[in-house]
Amino acid sequence: MYPKELKYTKTHEWVKNEDGEAVIGITRYAVEKLKDIVFIELPSIGAKVTKDSPFGTIESVKAVFELNSPVSGEVIAVNEAVNTSVDKVVKDPHGDGWIIRVKLKEQSELDNLLSKEEYEKFIQDIPKEG
Amino acid sequence: MKTIFYERHAALKAKMVDFGGWNMPLHYATGIIEEHLATRKNAGLFDVSHMGRVVFRGKGALLFLQHVLTNNAQALPIGQSQYTIIPNAKGGAIDDAYLYRFFKDEYILVVNAANRQSDWDYFQNIIKKFKEVEIFDKTEELAMISLQGPMSKTILNNIIDSGSMPEPLKNQLSIVKIKGIEVLIGRTGYTGEPLGFELFIDKNHALKIWDILIEQRATPVGLGARDTLRLEAGLPLYGHELNLDINPLEAGLEKYVCFEKENFIGKEALTGIKKKGLSRKLMYILMIDQAIPRYGYSIKNGEDVIGAITSGSYAPTLKKGIALGYIDIEHAQIGRDVSIEIRNKPYRAKIVKGPFYRKGTIGESHAKPCIQKN
Repeated sequence: MYPKELKYTKTHEWVKNEDGEAVIGITRYAVEKLKDIVFIELPSIGAKVTKDSPFGTIESVKAVFELNSPVSGEVIAVNEAVNTSVDKVVKDPHGDGWIIRVKLKEQSELDNLLSKEEYEKFIQDIPKEG
Repeated sequence: MKTIFYERHAALKAKMVDFGGWNMPLHYATGIIEEHLATRKNAGLFDVSHMGRVVFRGKGALLFLQHVLTNNAQALPIGQSQYTIIPNAKGGAIDDAYLYRFFKDEYILVVNAANRQSDWDYFQNIIKKFKEVEIFDKTEELAMISLQGPMSKTILNNIIDSGSMPEPLKNQLSIVKIKGIEVLIGRTGYTGEPLGFELFIDKNHALKIWDILIEQRATPVGLGARDTLRLEAGLPLYGHELNLDINPLEAGLEKYVCFEKENFIGKEALTGIKKKGLSRKLMYILMIDQAIPRYGYSIKNGEDVIGAITSGSYAPTLKKGIALGYIDIEHAQIGRDVSIEIRNKPYRAKIVKGPFYRKGTIGESHAKPCIQKN
């Protein structure tokens, strides 16, 4: 379910390295946990993002959550489709529902992120609610 | 605490939360938006047994209720109900409640879960001075569920074996039998749906009624959608739009305050507030920008803070951000542009005429029993 070519964070974002550019989104697990996602607030192109710091927000009916950047760099593209509807994020969070594209500052920042296997283990160990 | 329906919620894989000391479903497997829309389109089934059910019985019950409630309980014939407020001496709200009169000298007052104990203690103190009235807490022995939405009437008609539906208006009551079980029905609710019913059932038979309603394809709805539904309908929630320091006049609930009653707790204070004029008013706010206003956010006119949001959410029927909030009286005008401060940025919004959601007209009977001098 979680693609091998992506790296993951414990705050449920994913990142994909494409020749020094990082595509960033949220995981299927996050989508399922948040359930009633209604808006995602994106940064502007040119904005600087910092590893482990918020770059945007995601709003569900009940609450607001921060989107944390897995890497540092500069935003070079945002998924405009996400601005008008969160459908793509909900339906295909690891593909068409990507959120931002960042010009990587430090390639090495990718090294300590979770692999597919590590992330799957991490979410399995999260206690189930309700 | 757990309601009698707890096992049903668990079996439906509800996400449970603590609410006023009760372990209640926030939403079921499909989530808040689906449950909200199912209520608007078909019928939603809510466990509202966490709310307090206080019974007043005896020939002196009416006199007591007239003293501690703002609305005119005397105008309630048998088989009617009304919205009312429990005021303090300053005119603030101790709680808001619904008063049901199914029988001659017996009233059920449904109060908020979080206030059940404090309401009870408050009533205990005052009731000593009254004759021929007894007070009982029936919260646990009398279960309560709510069935709301366009299909609710059809569903009830399908399953009633004897007795008639509460007709034709909101606030009407009736007593029926469903599969041999006695059910007290009020044509009341907290969703803004013109068709909606609240059912009181002995706890020993309540699960059977729940199961029958599920079989009839009512959608179970949790507290999350209960909140978005009431907000779209512009209905107040205690602790948000009402509290000890907020009076019913600024909350826009004057029609539930009967100034013509000879006397009641808070009458003097409320009369004074009315004479002096309000300093702020509860207003309906619709977002223009794509953003969700939430509790506590500032309402601004340019750089000036002119109010604060008391409840805000995404509205699934409108697909927009909506809110209720208190705004300083000089700015509290329908049609005004305001901004909502969200994470240090202003977002455009407008003060609109409420409610946000209205389907047809909901005829109310005996909710406004006082002769208003217009």
